[in-house]
Amino acid sequence: MRLVHPGWHRHSLYCILPPYVVRTIAQNGSPAQRAAALRTMAVDSTFRALRLSSAVGAQRAPARRLGGMMAESQRQRFIYDMSGQEGFPGTLARSEGQGATGDVAVDEAYDGLGATYDFFWEVFGRDSLDDSGMPLNAHVHYGVNYDNAFWDGQRMVFGDGDGELFNRFTISLDVIGHELAHGMTEDEGPLMYFRQAGALNESISDIFGSLVKQKFLNQTADQADWLIGAGLLAEGVQGKALRSMKDPGTAYDDPVLGKDPQPAHMRDFVKTWEDNGGVHINSSIPNRAFCLAALQLGGYAWEKVGRIWYEALRDMRLRPDCGFARFARITSLCASRLYGEGGTEEAAVNDAWGQVGIKVTREKVSVARVPTLKAPAAQPSRRPSA
Amino acid sequence: MHIELKREGGIAFLPGLNRPRTFDLRDLPPAQAEALTRSVHAASFFQQPAVVGTAAKGAADQTRYTLTIEEGGRRHTVQLLEPVQEPHLRELLELLKQAERDLRREAARPHQ
Repeated sequence: MRLVHPGWHRHSLYCILPPYVVRTIAQNGSPAQRAAALRTMAVDSTFRALRLSSAVGAQRAPARRLGGMMAESQRQRFIYDMSGQEGFPGTLARSEGQGATGDVAVDEAYDGLGATYDFFWEVFGRDSLDDSGMPLNAHVHYGVNYDNAFWDGQRMVFGDGDGELFNRFTISLDVIGHELAHGMTEDEGPLMYFRQAGALNESISDIFGSLVKQKFLNQTADQADWLIGAGLLAEGVQGKALRSMKDPGTAYDDPVLGKDPQPAHMRDFVKTWEDNGGVHINSSIPNRAFCLAALQLGGYAWEKVGRIWYEALRDMRLRPDCGFARFARITSLCASRLYGEGGTEEAAVNDAWGQVGIKVTREKVSVARVPTLKAPAAQPSRRPSA
Repeated sequence: MHIELKREGGIAFLPGLNRPRTFDLRDLPPAQAEALTRSVHAASFFQQPAVVGTAAKGAADQTRYTLTIEEGGRRHTVQLLEPVQEPHLRELLELLKQAERDLRREAARPHQ
Protein backbone atom coordinates (compact mmCIF):
# COMPACT_ATOMS: atom_id res chain seq x y z
CA MET A 1 0.00 0.00 0.00
CA ARG A 2 1.45 3.35 -0.92
CA LEU A 3 0.28 6.85 -1.40
CA VAL A 4 3.71 8.15 -2.27
CA HIS A 5 4.10 9.04 -5.88
CA PRO A 6 6.32 6.43 -7.54
CA GLY A 7 8.51 9.06 -9.14
CA TRP A 8 9.75 6.72 -11.84
CA HIS A 9 11.11 8.19 -14.99
CA ARG A 10 8.62 8.08 -17.78
CA HIS A 11 10.36 7.55 -21.09
CA SER A 12 9.13 10.41 -23.19
CA LEU A 13 10.72 8.68 -26.18
CA TYR A 14 7.76 6.31 -26.31
CA CYS A 15 5.45 9.15 -27.12
CA ILE A 16 6.72 9.55 -30.65
CA LEU A 17 7.07 5.87 -31.38
CA PRO A 18 4.62 4.11 -33.65
CA PRO A 19 2.21 1.80 -31.83
CA TYR A 20 3.88 -1.44 -32.94
CA VAL A 21 7.19 -0.34 -31.41
CA VAL A 22 5.46 0.53 -28.15
CA ARG A 23 3.81 -2.89 -28.20
CA THR A 24 7.18 -4.56 -28.68
CA ILE A 25 8.55 -2.69 -25.68
CA ALA A 26 5.49 -3.74 -23.75
CA GLN A 27 6.24 -7.35 -24.61
CA ASN A 28 10.02 -7.45 -24.26
CA GLY A 29 11.14 -4.48 -22.20
CA SER A 30 12.26 -4.28 -18.59
CA PRO A 31 9.48 -3.98 -15.98
CA ALA A 32 9.82 -0.19 -15.86
CA GLN A 33 9.83 0.06 -19.63
CA ARG A 34 6.85 -2.24 -19.84
CA ALA A 35 4.92 -0.11 -17.40
CA ALA A 36 5.69 3.06 -19.31
CA ALA A 37 4.85 1.49 -22.65
CA LEU A 38 1.58 0.08 -21.41
CA ARG A 39 0.65 3.45 -20.05
CA THR A 40 1.32 5.02 -23.38
CA MET A 41 -0.70 2.39 -25.15
CA ALA A 42 -3.46 2.84 -22.66
CA VAL A 43 -4.42 6.12 -24.27
CA ASP A 44 -6.71 4.99 -27.00
CA SER A 45 -6.84 7.91 -29.35
CA THR A 46 -9.11 6.25 -31.88
CA PHE A 47 -12.31 7.77 -30.65
CA ARG A 48 -10.78 11.02 -29.59
CA ALA A 49 -9.55 11.51 -33.15
CA LEU A 50 -12.97 10.58 -34.47
CA ARG A 51 -14.67 12.96 -32.14
CA LEU A 52 -12.42 15.83 -33.08
CA SER A 53 -13.45 15.39 -36.68
CA SER A 54 -17.15 15.23 -35.88
CA ALA A 55 -19.61 18.04 -35.39
CA VAL A 56 -19.81 17.22 -31.70
CA GLY A 57 -16.07 17.50 -31.42
CA ALA A 58 -15.98 20.77 -33.31
CA GLN A 59 -18.02 22.42 -30.57
CA ARG A 60 -15.62 21.41 -27.87
CA ALA A 61 -12.65 23.32 -26.62
CA PRO A 62 -9.95 22.71 -29.20
CA ALA A 63 -6.81 23.08 -27.11
CA ARG A 64 -6.35 19.72 -25.44
CA ARG A 65 -3.17 17.83 -25.08
CA LEU A 66 -3.03 14.20 -25.97
CA GLY A 67 -2.49 12.37 -22.72
CA GLY A 68 -0.07 9.94 -24.28
CA MET A 69 2.30 12.77 -25.15
CA MET A 70 2.65 13.88 -21.57
CA ALA A 71 6.12 13.36 -20.23
CA GLU A 72 5.54 13.50 -16.48
CA SER A 73 2.55 13.53 -14.21
CA GLN A 74 1.73 17.02 -13.03
CA ARG A 75 -0.06 16.60 -9.75
CA GLN A 76 -1.16 19.85 -8.22
CA ARG A 77 -3.10 19.47 -5.01
CA PHE A 78 -4.39 22.22 -2.79
CA ILE A 79 -6.24 21.47 0.44
CA TYR A 80 -8.08 24.29 2.13
CA ASP A 81 -9.29 24.33 5.73
CA MET A 82 -12.76 25.88 5.97
CA SER A 83 -12.61 25.85 9.81
CA GLY A 84 -16.37 25.32 10.06
CA GLN A 85 -17.18 28.19 7.69
CA GLU A 86 -18.97 27.93 4.36
CA GLY A 87 -17.53 30.88 2.46
CA PHE A 88 -14.84 29.76 0.02
CA PRO A 89 -11.93 29.37 -0.19
CA GLY A 90 -10.93 29.08 3.48
CA THR A 91 -7.25 28.86 4.44
CA LEU A 92 -4.70 26.95 2.39
CA ALA A 93 -3.58 24.14 4.68
CA ARG A 94 -1.44 21.95 2.45
CA SER A 95 -0.23 22.24 -1.12
CA GLU A 96 1.65 19.92 -3.45
CA GLY A 97 4.84 18.54 -2.00
CA GLN A 98 4.26 19.71 1.57
CA GLY A 99 4.41 17.19 4.39
CA ALA A 100 1.57 15.93 6.53
CA THR A 101 -0.12 18.58 8.66
CA GLY A 102 -1.43 16.29 11.39
CA ASP A 103 -4.98 17.36 10.59
CA VAL A 104 -6.50 14.06 9.59
CA ALA A 105 -9.10 15.50 7.18
CA VAL A 106 -6.48 17.68 5.44
CA ASP A 107 -4.09 14.76 5.09
CA GLU A 108 -6.74 12.27 4.00
CA ALA A 109 -7.94 14.69 1.34
CA TYR A 110 -4.36 15.28 0.17
CA ASP A 111 -3.60 11.56 0.00
CA GLY A 112 -6.98 10.74 -1.56
CA LEU A 113 -6.52 13.34 -4.27
CA GLY A 114 -3.07 11.90 -4.92
CA ALA A 115 -4.38 8.33 -5.14
CA THR A 116 -7.12 9.47 -7.53
CA TYR A 117 -4.73 11.45 -9.71
CA ASP A 118 -2.30 8.51 -9.80
CA PHE A 119 -5.09 6.10 -10.70
CA PHE A 120 -6.14 8.04 -13.79
CA TRP A 121 -2.55 8.78 -14.74
CA GLU A 122 -1.23 5.25 -14.35
CA VAL A 123 -4.21 3.37 -15.72
CA PHE A 124 -5.44 5.66 -18.49
CA GLY A 125 -2.58 8.10 -18.96
CA ARG A 126 -5.04 10.82 -18.01
CA ASP A 127 -3.51 14.02 -16.67
CA SER A 128 -6.03 15.12 -14.03
CA LEU A 129 -9.77 15.56 -14.42
CA ASP A 130 -9.60 17.53 -17.64
CA ASP A 131 -6.60 15.59 -19.00
CA SER A 132 -4.77 18.90 -19.07
CA GLY A 133 -3.28 19.02 -15.61
CA MET A 134 -6.15 20.77 -13.84
CA PRO A 135 -5.17 21.52 -10.22
CA LEU A 136 -7.18 19.55 -7.66
CA ASN A 137 -8.74 21.64 -4.93
CA ALA A 138 -10.37 20.16 -1.86
CA HIS A 139 -12.00 22.05 0.98
CA VAL A 140 -12.33 20.25 4.30
CA HIS A 141 -14.00 21.08 7.63
CA TYR A 142 -16.83 22.68 5.67
CA GLY A 143 -19.66 23.87 7.91
CA VAL A 144 -20.47 22.62 11.37
CA ASN A 145 -21.42 18.94 11.80
CA TYR A 146 -21.91 18.99 8.06
CA ASP A 147 -23.16 15.63 6.73
CA ASN A 148 -22.15 15.66 3.09
CA ALA A 149 -19.46 15.86 0.44
CA PHE A 150 -20.08 17.45 -2.93
CA TRP A 151 -18.50 18.62 -6.17
CA ASP A 152 -19.48 22.21 -6.94
CA GLY A 153 -18.26 22.09 -10.52
CA GLN A 154 -14.73 23.20 -9.62
CA ARG A 155 -13.82 21.93 -6.20
CA MET A 156 -14.46 19.11 -3.78
CA VAL A 157 -16.08 19.96 -0.49
CA PHE A 158 -16.08 17.74 2.60
CA GLY A 159 -17.95 18.02 5.86
CA ASP A 160 -16.77 16.61 9.17
CA GLY A 161 -20.02 14.72 9.70
CA ASP A 162 -22.10 15.09 12.84
CA GLY A 163 -20.48 12.09 14.54
CA GLU A 164 -23.92 10.64 15.23
CA LEU A 165 -24.84 9.49 11.72
CA PHE A 166 -21.68 10.18 9.77
CA ASN A 167 -17.96 10.34 10.36
CA ARG A 168 -15.78 12.77 8.42
CA PHE A 169 -16.36 12.49 4.67
CA THR A 170 -12.66 12.20 3.82
CA ILE A 171 -12.57 8.81 5.57
CA SER A 172 -13.49 6.81 2.45
CA LEU A 173 -11.10 6.92 -0.47
CA ASP A 174 -13.91 5.89 -2.82
CA VAL A 175 -15.91 8.95 -1.78
CA ILE A 176 -12.96 11.18 -2.69
CA GLY A 177 -12.63 9.34 -6.01
CA HIS A 178 -16.38 9.63 -6.50
CA GLU A 179 -16.36 13.43 -6.17
CA LEU A 180 -13.36 13.85 -8.46
CA ALA A 181 -14.88 11.54 -11.06
CA HIS A 182 -17.78 13.99 -11.31
CA GLY A 183 -15.23 16.47 -12.62
CA MET A 184 -14.02 13.99 -15.21
CA THR A 185 -17.58 13.15 -16.31
CA GLU A 186 -18.34 16.82 -16.75
CA ASP A 187 -15.22 17.15 -18.88
CA GLU A 188 -15.78 14.03 -21.00
CA GLY A 189 -19.54 13.67 -21.12
CA PRO A 190 -21.20 15.63 -20.01
CA LEU A 191 -24.12 13.66 -18.66
CA MET A 192 -27.10 15.65 -17.48
CA TYR A 193 -27.62 15.36 -13.74
CA PHE A 194 -31.17 14.14 -14.11
CA ARG A 195 -33.01 10.81 -14.37
CA GLN A 196 -31.19 7.99 -16.20
CA ALA A 197 -28.37 10.19 -17.51
CA GLY A 198 -27.90 11.52 -13.98
CA ALA A 199 -27.93 7.99 -12.58
CA LEU A 200 -25.23 7.08 -15.11
CA ASN A 201 -23.29 10.16 -14.01
CA GLU A 202 -23.56 8.96 -10.40
CA SER A 203 -22.71 5.39 -11.38
CA ILE A 204 -19.57 6.48 -13.21
CA SER A 205 -18.48 8.32 -10.08
CA ASP A 206 -19.12 5.24 -7.94
CA ILE A 207 -17.30 2.98 -10.39
CA PHE A 208 -14.16 5.08 -10.68
CA GLY A 209 -14.28 5.92 -6.97
CA SER A 210 -14.33 2.22 -6.20
CA LEU A 211 -11.59 1.49 -8.75
CA VAL A 212 -9.35 4.15 -7.17
CA LYS A 213 -9.72 2.32 -3.86
CA GLN A 214 -9.27 -1.12 -5.42
CA LYS A 215 -6.05 -0.08 -7.14
CA PHE A 216 -4.76 1.61 -4.01
CA LEU A 217 -5.40 -1.59 -2.05
CA ASN A 218 -4.21 -3.73 -4.98
CA GLN A 219 -7.43 -5.74 -4.93
CA THR A 220 -8.78 -7.99 -7.64
CA ALA A 221 -12.50 -7.84 -8.45
CA ASP A 222 -13.31 -10.74 -6.14
CA GLN A 223 -11.30 -9.21 -3.26
CA ALA A 224 -12.96 -5.79 -3.46
CA ASP A 225 -15.85 -4.90 -1.15
CA TRP A 226 -17.62 -2.91 -3.91
CA LEU A 227 -18.95 -0.56 -1.23
CA ILE A 228 -19.20 3.20 -1.51
CA GLY A 229 -18.50 4.98 1.75
CA ALA A 230 -17.33 2.08 3.92
CA GLY A 231 -16.36 3.56 7.30
CA LEU A 232 -18.42 6.66 6.75
CA LEU A 233 -21.43 5.65 8.84
CA ALA A 234 -20.91 6.49 12.50
CA GLU A 235 -20.73 3.88 15.20
CA GLY A 236 -24.17 2.61 16.12
CA VAL A 237 -25.69 3.21 12.69
CA GLN A 238 -27.01 -0.06 11.32
CA GLY A 239 -25.21 -0.30 8.02
CA LYS A 240 -21.85 -0.80 6.40
CA ALA A 241 -21.76 1.94 3.74
CA LEU A 242 -23.80 4.33 1.60
CA ARG A 243 -24.18 1.95 -1.30
CA SER A 244 -23.27 -1.55 -2.36
CA MET A 245 -22.42 -1.95 -6.03
CA LYS A 246 -22.45 -5.72 -5.72
CA ASP A 247 -25.65 -6.10 -3.70
CA PRO A 248 -27.69 -2.93 -4.15
CA GLY A 249 -30.25 -2.36 -1.42
CA THR A 250 -28.17 -3.97 1.34
CA ALA A 251 -25.85 -1.16 2.43
CA TYR A 252 -27.87 -0.04 5.46
CA ASP A 253 -31.15 -0.58 7.24
CA ASP A 254 -31.32 1.84 10.12
CA PRO A 255 -34.12 3.43 12.17
CA VAL A 256 -32.90 6.96 11.33
CA LEU A 257 -31.45 6.58 7.83
CA GLY A 258 -34.14 4.19 6.67
CA LYS A 259 -33.46 1.27 4.36
CA ASP A 260 -31.12 1.39 1.37
CA PRO A 261 -33.53 2.00 -1.56
CA GLN A 262 -31.25 0.98 -4.43
CA PRO A 263 -32.65 -1.51 -6.96
CA ALA A 264 -30.59 -4.43 -8.30
CA HIS A 265 -32.58 -4.86 -11.51
CA MET A 266 -34.53 -2.79 -14.05
CA ARG A 267 -37.79 -4.35 -12.92
CA ASP A 268 -37.34 -2.47 -9.62
CA PHE A 269 -36.30 0.82 -11.26
CA VAL A 270 -37.55 3.65 -9.05
CA LYS A 271 -39.52 6.35 -10.84
CA THR A 272 -39.35 9.49 -8.78
CA TRP A 273 -38.96 13.24 -9.12
CA GLU A 274 -36.93 13.37 -5.95
CA ASP A 275 -33.14 13.34 -5.96
CA ASN A 276 -33.04 14.76 -9.52
CA GLY A 277 -35.12 11.85 -10.70
CA GLY A 278 -33.45 9.23 -8.53
CA VAL A 279 -29.83 9.76 -9.59
CA HIS A 280 -28.52 8.25 -6.32
CA ILE A 281 -31.17 5.52 -6.37
CA ASN A 282 -31.09 3.94 -9.83
CA SER A 283 -27.33 4.36 -10.23
CA SER A 284 -27.17 0.89 -8.66
CA ILE A 285 -28.34 -0.72 -11.91
CA PRO A 286 -25.32 0.30 -14.03
CA ASN A 287 -23.13 -0.11 -10.91
CA ARG A 288 -24.15 -3.73 -10.58
CA ALA A 289 -23.68 -4.35 -14.31
CA PHE A 290 -20.10 -3.09 -14.00
CA CYS A 291 -19.46 -5.21 -10.92
CA LEU A 292 -20.89 -8.35 -12.54
CA ALA A 293 -18.78 -7.88 -15.67
CA ALA A 294 -15.67 -7.34 -13.53
CA LEU A 295 -16.35 -10.45 -11.44
CA GLN A 296 -17.02 -12.45 -14.58
CA LEU A 297 -13.70 -11.45 -16.18
CA GLY A 298 -11.73 -11.67 -12.94
CA GLY A 299 -8.41 -9.99 -12.21
CA TYR A 300 -8.10 -6.27 -11.59
CA ALA A 301 -11.37 -4.55 -12.47
CA TRP A 302 -9.66 -1.41 -13.75
CA GLU A 303 -7.68 -3.26 -16.40
CA LYS A 304 -10.46 -4.41 -18.69
CA VAL A 305 -13.95 -3.45 -17.54
CA GLY A 306 -12.63 -0.16 -16.16
CA ARG A 307 -11.05 0.60 -19.52
CA ILE A 308 -14.26 -0.34 -21.36
CA TRP A 309 -16.30 2.03 -19.18
CA TYR A 310 -13.69 4.75 -19.50
CA GLU A 311 -13.78 4.52 -23.28
CA ALA A 312 -17.59 4.45 -23.20
CA LEU A 313 -17.58 7.73 -21.27
CA ARG A 314 -15.32 9.24 -23.95
CA ASP A 315 -17.33 7.78 -26.83
CA MET A 316 -18.75 10.22 -29.35
CA ARG A 317 -22.08 8.41 -29.22
CA LEU A 318 -22.54 9.31 -25.57
CA ARG A 319 -25.10 12.08 -25.49
CA PRO A 320 -25.88 14.31 -22.50
CA ASP A 321 -29.29 12.64 -22.12
CA CYS A 322 -27.93 9.11 -22.52
CA GLY A 323 -30.11 6.42 -20.96
CA PHE A 324 -29.06 3.04 -19.55
CA ALA A 325 -29.84 1.08 -22.74
CA ARG A 326 -27.81 3.34 -24.96
CA PHE A 327 -24.92 3.37 -22.52
CA ALA A 328 -25.05 -0.43 -22.31
CA ARG A 329 -24.72 -0.66 -26.08
CA ILE A 330 -21.80 1.76 -26.07
CA THR A 331 -19.98 -0.32 -23.45
CA SER A 332 -20.62 -3.43 -25.52
CA LEU A 333 -19.23 -1.79 -28.64
CA CYS A 334 -16.22 -0.51 -26.71
CA ALA A 335 -15.59 -4.01 -25.38
CA SER A 336 -15.53 -5.44 -28.89
CA ARG A 337 -13.44 -2.57 -30.21
CA LEU A 338 -10.86 -2.87 -27.45
CA TYR A 339 -10.70 -6.61 -26.97
CA GLY A 340 -12.06 -8.14 -30.15
CA GLU A 341 -15.48 -8.80 -31.55
CA GLY A 342 -17.25 -11.78 -30.03
CA GLY A 343 -14.59 -12.04 -27.32
CA THR A 344 -15.04 -12.97 -23.68
CA GLU A 345 -14.94 -9.26 -22.71
CA GLU A 346 -17.85 -8.34 -24.95
CA ALA A 347 -19.77 -11.41 -23.77
CA ALA A 348 -19.14 -10.55 -20.11
CA VAL A 349 -20.35 -6.99 -20.63
CA ASN A 350 -23.49 -8.07 -22.49
CA ASP A 351 -24.20 -10.78 -19.96
CA ALA A 352 -23.77 -8.35 -17.04
CA TRP A 353 -26.26 -5.89 -18.55
CA GLY A 354 -28.61 -8.80 -19.20
CA GLN A 355 -28.48 -9.74 -15.52
CA VAL A 356 -29.72 -6.28 -14.53
CA GLY A 357 -32.50 -6.41 -17.12
CA ILE A 358 -30.95 -4.59 -20.07
CA LYS A 359 -30.67 -6.60 -23.24
CA VAL A 360 -27.88 -5.33 -25.39
CA THR A 361 -28.53 -5.68 -29.09
CA ARG A 362 -25.96 -4.20 -31.39
CA GLU A 363 -28.50 -3.83 -34.19
CA LYS A 364 -30.39 -1.21 -32.24
CA VAL A 365 -27.51 1.19 -31.93
CA SER A 366 -28.67 4.25 -33.78
CA VAL A 367 -25.19 5.32 -34.88
CA ALA A 368 -23.72 2.93 -37.42
CA ARG A 369 -20.41 1.36 -36.55
CA VAL A 370 -17.54 2.97 -38.33
CA PRO A 371 -15.85 0.27 -40.46
CA THR A 372 -12.34 1.60 -39.93
CA LEU A 373 -12.62 0.77 -36.26
CA LYS A 374 -12.14 -2.86 -37.15
CA ALA A 375 -8.59 -2.20 -38.33
CA PRO A 376 -6.55 -4.66 -36.30
CA ALA A 377 -3.59 -2.30 -35.91
CA ALA A 378 -5.65 -0.05 -33.67
CA GLN A 379 -6.75 -2.89 -31.44
CA PRO A 380 -4.84 -3.24 -28.22
CA SER A 381 -6.31 -6.73 -27.88
CA ARG A 382 -3.04 -8.28 -28.92
CA ARG A 383 -1.10 -6.75 -26.13
CA PRO A 384 0.01 -9.07 -23.40
CA SER A 385 -2.12 -9.07 -20.33
CA ALA A 386 -0.19 -6.99 -17.83
CA MET B 1 -45.02 29.14 14.01
CA HIS B 2 -44.82 25.95 12.00
CA ILE B 3 -41.72 24.98 10.03
CA GLU B 4 -41.20 22.16 7.58
CA LEU B 5 -37.70 21.17 6.43
CA LYS B 6 -37.22 18.86 3.49
CA ARG B 7 -33.86 17.66 2.29
CA GLU B 8 -32.97 16.33 -1.13
CA GLY B 9 -29.77 15.33 -2.81
CA GLY B 10 -26.43 14.87 -1.13
CA ILE B 11 -23.98 12.11 -1.85
CA ALA B 12 -26.60 9.44 -1.18
CA PHE B 13 -30.37 9.18 -1.14
CA LEU B 14 -31.12 8.26 2.45
CA PRO B 15 -34.88 7.73 2.77
CA GLY B 16 -34.94 8.45 6.50
CA LEU B 17 -33.26 11.82 6.03
CA ASN B 18 -35.31 12.75 2.97
CA ARG B 19 -38.59 12.65 4.87
CA PRO B 20 -39.92 16.13 5.59
CA ARG B 21 -39.34 17.17 9.20
CA THR B 22 -41.94 19.39 10.80
CA PHE B 23 -41.42 21.59 13.82
CA ASP B 24 -44.20 23.18 15.75
CA LEU B 25 -42.43 25.84 17.78
CA ARG B 26 -44.85 25.31 20.68
CA ASP B 27 -43.37 21.81 21.13
CA LEU B 28 -39.76 22.99 21.27
CA PRO B 29 -37.89 24.19 24.35
CA PRO B 30 -38.67 27.94 24.77
CA ALA B 31 -35.09 29.09 24.17
CA GLN B 32 -34.85 27.12 20.95
CA ALA B 33 -38.27 28.30 19.75
CA GLU B 34 -37.30 31.87 20.46
CA ALA B 35 -33.99 31.55 18.62
CA LEU B 36 -35.79 30.10 15.61
CA THR B 37 -38.42 32.86 15.60
CA ARG B 38 -35.71 35.50 15.77
CA SER B 39 -33.77 33.81 12.99
CA VAL B 40 -36.82 33.56 10.69
CA HIS B 41 -37.37 37.29 11.05
CA ALA B 42 -33.69 38.21 10.78
CA ALA B 43 -33.54 36.26 7.52
CA SER B 44 -36.62 38.12 6.22
CA PHE B 45 -37.83 34.68 5.29
CA PHE B 46 -41.22 35.77 4.00
CA GLN B 47 -39.54 38.22 1.60
CA GLN B 48 -37.08 35.66 0.20
CA PRO B 49 -37.47 34.45 -3.40
CA ALA B 50 -38.71 30.93 -4.09
CA VAL B 51 -35.19 29.71 -4.90
CA VAL B 52 -31.97 30.93 -3.31
CA GLY B 53 -28.68 29.88 -4.91
CA THR B 54 -27.88 28.44 -8.31
CA ALA B 55 -26.42 25.05 -9.16
CA ALA B 56 -23.13 25.49 -10.98
CA LYS B 57 -22.56 23.67 -14.25
CA GLY B 58 -21.35 20.16 -13.61
CA ALA B 59 -22.04 20.31 -9.88
CA ALA B 60 -23.11 17.07 -8.20
CA ASP B 61 -24.14 15.71 -4.80
CA GLN B 62 -25.21 19.08 -3.47
CA THR B 63 -28.08 19.18 -1.01
CA ARG B 64 -31.25 21.11 -1.71
CA TYR B 65 -33.35 22.21 1.26
CA THR B 66 -37.00 23.11 0.93
CA LEU B 67 -38.14 25.24 3.81
CA THR B 68 -41.83 26.02 4.36
CA ILE B 69 -42.84 28.31 7.19
CA GLU B 70 -46.34 29.20 8.38
CA GLU B 71 -46.90 32.07 10.74
CA GLY B 72 -50.05 34.01 11.51
CA GLY B 73 -51.96 33.00 8.42
CA ARG B 74 -49.09 33.46 5.96
CA ARG B 75 -47.13 30.65 4.42
CA HIS B 76 -43.97 30.78 2.32
CA THR B 77 -41.66 28.21 0.74
CA VAL B 78 -38.01 28.78 -0.12
CA GLN B 79 -35.63 26.33 -1.77
CA LEU B 80 -32.05 26.69 -0.62
CA LEU B 81 -29.29 25.32 -2.83
CA GLU B 82 -25.97 24.49 -1.29
CA PRO B 83 -23.71 26.21 -0.50
CA VAL B 84 -26.02 28.64 1.29
CA GLN B 85 -24.01 31.86 1.33
CA GLU B 86 -26.55 34.27 2.86
CA PRO B 87 -25.58 34.33 6.55
CA HIS B 88 -29.07 34.69 8.05
CA LEU B 89 -30.58 31.89 5.98
CA ARG B 90 -27.58 29.75 6.83
CA GLU B 91 -28.05 30.42 10.52
CA LEU B 92 -31.73 29.49 10.24
CA LEU B 93 -30.81 26.27 8.52
CA GLU B 94 -28.21 25.44 11.19
CA LEU B 95 -30.75 26.05 13.97
CA LEU B 96 -33.21 23.72 12.25
CA LYS B 97 -30.59 21.02 11.81
CA GLN B 98 -29.73 21.33 15.50
CA ALA B 99 -33.42 21.04 16.45
CA GLU B 100 -33.62 17.98 14.23
CA ARG B 101 -30.64 16.37 15.96
CA ASP B 102 -32.13 17.12 19.38
CA LEU B 103 -35.43 15.50 18.40
CA ARG B 104 -33.57 12.49 17.03
CA ARG B 105 -31.63 12.08 20.28
CA GLU B 106 -34.83 12.35 22.27
CA ALA B 107 -36.53 9.73 20.10
CA ALA B 108 -33.58 7.37 20.56
CA ARG B 109 -33.74 7.64 24.35
CA PRO B 110 -35.47 4.63 25.91
CA HIS B 111 -38.94 5.52 27.19
CA GLN B 112 -39.70 5.15 30.87
